[in-house]
Amino acid sequence: MNTRNATKLAGWVAAALVMSAVAFFLSSYYNDVYRKLLLWVALALSYNYLFGVSGQVAFSHFVFYGIGAYAVVIFLFQLGLPLPLAILAGVLVCTAIALAVAIPSTRLEGFYLALATLALAQLFIVVLNEGGAVTGGTGGLVDYRLPPVFGVRITGPWYTVVIVVLVLATYAVLLRLERSWFGRACRAVRDNPEAAAAMGIDVARTKVIAFTLTSVLAGVAGMVYAFVDNTVNPPIFGLENAFLLLFMVIVGGSGRHAGAVIGAVLLYLLPFVLSPLIGHHHALVFGVLMVAAILLQPRGLVGIYDKYSSGQKAY
Amino acid sequence: LRDFLELSVSAAASGCIYGLVALAYLLMIRPTGIINFAVGEWAMVGAFGGFLLLSRFEWPYPLGMAAILGFMVVVGWATERIAVRPLVERGAPLLAPILALLGMLVVFRESISLGFGPDPHQVPEPVGWEYLKYFMIAATLVLFAAVWLFFEKTVWGKAFEAVALNRKAAALMGIDLSRVTAASFAGGAAAAGLAGLLVAPNVSAHYLMGVPLAIQGFTALVIGGVGRVEGALLGGLLVAFAEQLTVRYAPLPAGYAQGVPLLLLMLFLLVRPTGLLRARA
Repeated sequence: MNTRNATKLAGWVAAALVMSAVAFFLSSYYNDVYRKLLLWVALALSYNYLFGVSGQVAFSHFVFYGIGAYAVVIFLFQLGLPLPLAILAGVLVCTAIALAVAIPSTRLEGFYLALATLALAQLFIVVLNEGGAVTGGTGGLVDYRLPPVFGVRITGPWYTVVIVVLVLATYAVLLRLERSWFGRACRAVRDNPEAAAAMGIDVARTKVIAFTLTSVLAGVAGMVYAFVDNTVNPPIFGLENAFLLLFMVIVGGSGRHAGAVIGAVLLYLLPFVLSPLIGHHHALVFGVLMVAAILLQPRGLVGIYDKYSSGQKAY
Repeated sequence: LRDFLELSVSAAASGCIYGLVALAYLLMIRPTGIINFAVGEWAMVGAFGGFLLLSRFEWPYPLGMAAILGFMVVVGWATERIAVRPLVERGAPLLAPILALLGMLVVFRESISLGFGPDPHQVPEPVGWEYLKYFMIAATLVLFAAVWLFFEKTVWGKAFEAVALNRKAAALMGIDLSRVTAASFAGGAAAAGLAGLLVAPNVSAHYLMGVPLAIQGFTALVIGGVGRVEGALLGGLLVAFAEQLTVRYAPLPAGYAQGVPLLLLMLFLLVRPTGLLRARA
């Protein structure tokens, strides 16, 4: 390993240590807030790859988060699979559903994926509510605990460390993906599908792979989420949050990792600031922010930062 | 058989609603290429207009209906002004107005929820209960006939078609593109508002009613094909019949009917992506 790789690795380890250390100084309430913030960041990062980098409008990201969460719980406690197998099975379920939605939707130019995923999001909630004993119906699944990993029960701030690892792993995967041949293919397909096809890129396949990969990343985040509250129920995975994810990426600055992080942090924390003022109507503020961002600053908050810092990076 | 006839009438009535929503999409997609997912929320605004004017202020139905349709024209026009025109004039990619309209979707929904609260509101029916379905069908047919005549017989309709076929050529022929866009949004909002008003006595005006309508309407549009006005109605009827037959004859909880549009959509995208009716050359 040369020195450059060594410094890089040290950077990742330092980030992991700092982000984990925070958890040990927080009360259990703020630990909960911190965990959910980290999960939103992980989701926004992978959604940014799907929407911002690969240019696909989908409302299914939060559905896959839910599928991952429900799947791991169902496989663990209703089918009695061991944890590694349950995770693997959850990944397979996410992959199969992602392929089933993406392959027909990407056959055509246009925004069919947006509609198909909107319908999927709607159907997912129905399946959860009507699923009887398997999904626990409207009450969802409760009263389960993360099984011990290598004989150790991971609880309290140590579970926050697991989430930190998830966020950094998601980021690392996306960074590798983005800087690879495949990442450039995704951008080419986003910016000009005809030109990309002319250069020998299989447009439909690129789209399907990007959709499936990011959906699985969302599914894995959902599996981690399942043991944050130790309950999964239908209202958590509603369409509201799918829109919120889109707004996070756009307000922060789509196509940029920093934008996804900024958007996720800002829109996740905003309700805490706003709720004393306007109660539960922060979604209205989100909608206005979204329209304003597109009209006034299509590059999002990151775009504003770029303007005032030295050079304009055009990713 | 009697059972089947009743089912057919009620499927035809909901098919008309989906057809109207599909028509709203179509009016905007044809000349501009913009998919406006906020049509469902427009339908909701129409339904709440019905609650406000007909239930609370007790206006006579025809007057209230006319007022609501007029108001929807204004809503559509204003939406286009706020969320679409600045982006089109700047030359932004097509995705930008679609996303701005998604933002407007949330703004509409949350404003209504803020103004009327989260509970459903009763909207009165224009005619007796047993005739309501026929009224829905008749009103839809009248609107579809009007739109069809508009496209076939009037200069404005020809201008719409010209813009749909070739924007640049149409602009060179002296057609005002921004006017056509504004008119298409105004017309789309009126069609969606009518759908909301007609369906409201059955489902009550509720701030979450928009998204299912938006999904069913778009499925109808994909099935019928985006090229022809009749396609929207045909697609709507097909979606509604598939839903009602599933609920009636499949041994599944009624909620699963919401899965029918998704399955139909997937099927059509795989088998016949251009829809049933193709645009005339």
